[in-house]
Amino acid sequence: MSQVLKKDAKPKGRGRKILSVILFVLSGILLVAAVCGYYLQGTEQTRASLSAMRTQAVLHTASDGLLDAIASQARSEKLKELRARKDFRTLGLDEVNNTCDSAAAEARAAAEALYSNPRVADSAGLETAVVGLENALSEYGTLRNAEREAYSGIYVSLVENVPDWTDLADAAGEDDSALFASLSAWSEELSSEAYAHLQPGIVRLARDMADKERAREDEELLTQLTSAMTGAVSDWSEYAGVEDEALWAGLSEQVDGLAENERFRDRLLQAAKERISAAESGETVAEAVADEGAATVYDTVTDYSYFTATEALNTASAASEAAFEGLWSELTEIIPDLSELDNKMRNSIRTTLENTVWAGSNDFTARYNAYAARQGGTALSGSTALAMQLAASAQNILIAGIALLLLAALLMFWTRLTGSFGVPRTIITLFFIYLCLAAVFYHISVPMMLSNVLIRMGMYGILVLAMMPGIQCGIGLNMGMTIGCIAGLLGIVLSLQFDMAGWGGLLFACASGAVVALPLGWAYSKLLNRMKGSEMTISTYVGFSFVALMCIGWMMLPFNNPKIIWLLSGHGLRVTHSLLGSYAHLLDNFLSFDILGVEVPTGLLLFLLLGCLLMWLFSRSRTGIAMTAVGSNPRFAEASGISVNRMRTIGTVLSTVIAAVGIVIYSQAFGYAQLYTAPRQLGFIASSAILIGGATVRKAKVSHVLFGVFLFEGVLVLGQQIANSAVAGGGLSEVMRIMISNGIILYALTQTGGGSRD
Amino acid sequence: MASEYILEMNGITKEYGSNAVLKDVTLRIRPGEIHALLGENGAGKSTLMNVLFGMPVIHSTGGFRGEVLLEGAPVKIMSPMDAMAKGIGMVHQEFMLIPGFSITDNIKLNREISRPWPISRILGKDLEFLNRPAMAGDARNALDAVGMNIDEYALVNGLPVGHMQFIEIAREIDKTGMKLLVFDEPTAVLTESEAAQLLGVMKEIAAKGIAIIFITHRLDEVMEAADTVTILRDGRLVQTLSKAETSAEQLAALMIGRGEDSIIHVEQRGEEISGNVAMSIRNLWVDMPGEVCRGINLDVRKGEILGIGGLAGQGKIGIPNGIMGLYEAVGSVSLFGQDLPLNSTTAALKAGLAFVSEDRRGVGLLLDQSIEDNIVFSAMQVHGEYLSGPLRLKNVRKIREQAREMIEQLDIRCTSSLQAVGTLSGGNQQKVCVARALMLKPKFLFVSEPTRGIDIGAKQLVLQTLVRLGREQGMTIVMVSSELQELRSICDRIAIIAEGKVAAILKPQDSDTAFGLAMSGAKMKGGEAV
Repeated sequence: MSQVLKKDAKPKGRGRKILSVILFVLSGILLVAAVCGYYLQGTEQTRASLSAMRTQAVLHTASDGLLDAIASQARSEKLKELRARKDFRTLGLDEVNNTCDSAAAEARAAAEALYSNPRVADSAGLETAVVGLENALSEYGTLRNAEREAYSGIYVSLVENVPDWTDLADAAGEDDSALFASLSAWSEELSSEAYAHLQPGIVRLARDMADKERAREDEELLTQLTSAMTGAVSDWSEYAGVEDEALWAGLSEQVDGLAENERFRDRLLQAAKERISAAESGETVAEAVADEGAATVYDTVTDYSYFTATEALNTASAASEAAFEGLWSELTEIIPDLSELDNKMRNSIRTTLENTVWAGSNDFTARYNAYAARQGGTALSGSTALAMQLAASAQNILIAGIALLLLAALLMFWTRLTGSFGVPRTIITLFFIYLCLAAVFYHISVPMMLSNVLIRMGMYGILVLAMMPGIQCGIGLNMGMTIGCIAGLLGIVLSLQFDMAGWGGLLFACASGAVVALPLGWAYSKLLNRMKGSEMTISTYVGFSFVALMCIGWMMLPFNNPKIIWLLSGHGLRVTHSLLGSYAHLLDNFLSFDILGVEVPTGLLLFLLLGCLLMWLFSRSRTGIAMTAVGSNPRFAEASGISVNRMRTIGTVLSTVIAAVGIVIYSQAFGYAQLYTAPRQLGFIASSAILIGGATVRKAKVSHVLFGVFLFEGVLVLGQQIANSAVAGGGLSEVMRIMISNGIILYALTQTGGGSRD
Repeated sequence: MASEYILEMNGITKEYGSNAVLKDVTLRIRPGEIHALLGENGAGKSTLMNVLFGMPVIHSTGGFRGEVLLEGAPVKIMSPMDAMAKGIGMVHQEFMLIPGFSITDNIKLNREISRPWPISRILGKDLEFLNRPAMAGDARNALDAVGMNIDEYALVNGLPVGHMQFIEIAREIDKTGMKLLVFDEPTAVLTESEAAQLLGVMKEIAAKGIAIIFITHRLDEVMEAADTVTILRDGRLVQTLSKAETSAEQLAALMIGRGEDSIIHVEQRGEEISGNVAMSIRNLWVDMPGEVCRGINLDVRKGEILGIGGLAGQGKIGIPNGIMGLYEAVGSVSLFGQDLPLNSTTAALKAGLAFVSEDRRGVGLLLDQSIEDNIVFSAMQVHGEYLSGPLRLKNVRKIREQAREMIEQLDIRCTSSLQAVGTLSGGNQQKVCVARALMLKPKFLFVSEPTRGIDIGAKQLVLQTLVRLGREQGMTIVMVSSELQELRSICDRIAIIAEGKVAAILKPQDSDTAFGLAMSGAKMKGGEAV
């Protein structure tokens, strides 16, 4: 037997070595090819080829535009013809469309024979014109981008620096000079030139903000009105049954009390009327309006409508105009029919042409791809085409080469790496490194990604920490932590019910969530103690079914603050609750700072570290040590006189309570609290994170939590971005998240050996 | 007949890896004789039978050396089916019966009598009808042969254990062409009268010319039923005797066989310990699966090292486990005159007891934790020691100091006190277990199978440690062990447990015969349980 085993073991190791050598060689070939590609990018010949491609692409664009114009003209003529017919009204919409389409297609096909394959017969003039346009455009584009950037920088700092928009809005409403007085307080910080350049924009901005502020007040009043209405009559169907006159009288009465400002009275009554009709037809307009209002008020996205160009920009614009004229005349010489086009057609072709000539980037690959997409590749032939392809894909080859190199190194040092680091952690860490490298190549801002990762770490950190006592006390991965999450959500909803905001609200949500979690966790642990050996299954099902139970619960609980209940029915909690008015991002913004472009959410991270510290201290106490022993070997613990059930209860309750606090932190970082089925998947996310960190279903440490949440979120955030850049279509990142998290859990389950404990 | 013997196994040697479990064993069985196979646990009886039946465990581990002759002709038995076809049957220790089937169905399982009908003639034998009357007739005959007057249509479900044993036998003798039957400890679960009946049946079967191999450790049954006795010890053939020329005493002595190579040499204490009673156990019943105690009465004297020996499964391990509250127990135990509440580990530990478990890796250690954490664990949990500060967190400095001291004292070979115990060798793990028990500063120490699975050097160290604790520090020690040798080398007295009761309390220098008889459960004159 032992001999058989030895025979088995040898080829395994050897096979890995051979494979790694093969991979090394392959990656070497790829790296050499990539270097060749990069070299080719720099040669004169490729530049010439690229230039030829571009000229060809320009020509194609022009002829395509012409064909489009011809087709569209044919289409509109056909439509005119059809309209003239007497029986036009009897024709169906589809029929009209089809007839016009086929007419357009016919015309295009006929013209194609004439224009589809324009040759660069005498390209010298055209090429010069293209280069001229490129220069003009690049100057104009660079200048425009720089100015816009400066503008948006100032805009953002305006929005951020003005502590209270109401003041600004009031100033704008009364007197422009007062506005300037208040603006000049921080204008020194901005460069004087840019400031002067932006002045007219700022005035308009201020006015606009004042309007927004007014709109916000309107929203608030509308909300109050809605509350008043729902407060007065709990059921809209009942409302609809009341006689119109009486209803109207009753409403006006209430509105009088509410609308202190006469300005809004009419509007409010109008809104009320709309609402009544909407309610009768069963819609929930009020919700939509309120959400929209909230979204616009906090929207500070840069708006370029106030942007005013400088003198230099105008000159550059004129120059590019002239350059385009030059190109157009060259094109007209080759394709005379272009001159027949009207201005509208010409302008639409112009946009495409300008995009073709100057794609906004000097990157070889980007340019090659852009030209190739417009059939510029037909200008090349044979080996030149191959060389160009190699040069264009140099970057992809390089990434693939590095990936193979990493893989080869992984295989080569497999035993050593996995020995000290564990198989899944090794793979995930390498994957993370690879993603970081790939991010650089895909021009994804790494600092931004890192800020994202840090925030998500803080967001999920406490939830992952909740897994730790569960594992330590021997119930394994506590999939039923959703029970704690729901308790925490209850805490949040309670704080919203009592209109609590700021630190007080956050503390109250945490504390009340934890208090609710205590008895729930206790009851849950009693169940788990009766189900030793199959906790993972039990906890998963309990978690899911508790979510389902609370779907009913959220509807039944007697909350009555109009901000959180369904307005039309008058009871039951809404699905999503914005915390923006109460304590959203409170911890994120506490002491937060920028370093090298990475935004550090200090408060959030500090809270996570504090949680970890407390957990660490607990695991060094007598109870903590006993709990860990119960988890790793219950019979050992029993032989030392420890009550296994008691320790499991402590661990489960602790896990549930931490989960309750965790979801509050999660929600404040997310900005919204989501009820109903939203917390269902949190258990899976938390468990895969802690498993990636190196924990097993029997053993977990604080370091596993921190490392795991960093790796898991890192891989997800980066992977998501890169997957989106690499593959068109946005669904991939979600697919990947599910694959990674479920794959990790599956792997961990194979390591447990089933429910073998007694 | 071609040969005098129906079965000859000549020079059988079997090794698992480098560990030889059978060394040149020869077994010869005559037709119609009852041949008893005697030996302690681990003597090689089971392996020999596995070889005979061609069990996969033998062939998958490299086979065996030696030859097997059936009726004088060499045979190669490659599987149990093969053995059955050649006329060798086995009556299992665990019953292999299907509870939901009737007795007849069980007896005729896979050898059903069937009668054909048109469809089965076309589609094959699998679709034939069962010929129930014929099957019932066969079953009746077989049952009569074993002296059972039970209805053959009864379901096996719910029958008394003894009946099941007889049904097993009935099934074997119903097989045609049966030449050799192996009975593996058939009387272990039977009452005395049933056992007597079984022996009678065996004799009847043998009278029909079927040879029987009778594996047992009950010497009185051997003397009662067997014609010839083969004794194995440590994988070697000791002797083959005919019953007429031997006695139970001689068999006992041969079975135990005092080894010349004592593990360690310890001077016997000159005077007998006649001190006060440290622990008094009265009528202790422990429900430990496989090691059930059925009314243990035992006194442990203060300061002595008391050995508890006996064969596996007789209940010796149940004693410490029951007293420590790890398994359900009833009875009364008093420690230094105080009543000890049973079924509470905490109470036992607080009363000054400590226990080194026989299940080192399962119960004794936290394998993935460090040596120092393992050593102080119990002391910390039971007495609240090694905690410091206002938060009562573990005092790493003090723990490490203590662990270093223990490592030095017990000579635990490790890289540091932070090494995970799972990576230590068995002997060093055992020392960690002992260290953990000592950290409780016990007045009374239970040590269960302390030398199981560790090498000879480590064995000596562990035993010497126990002797030192007992002789120098005056600790009262109860050591449970399957190895009589080591019990006899360090204990002051040895209690032998058989069938869940104390069979005898002996001195180390008592004869092999006395030990052998006690272990096989034979009642000794005057061997009253103290």
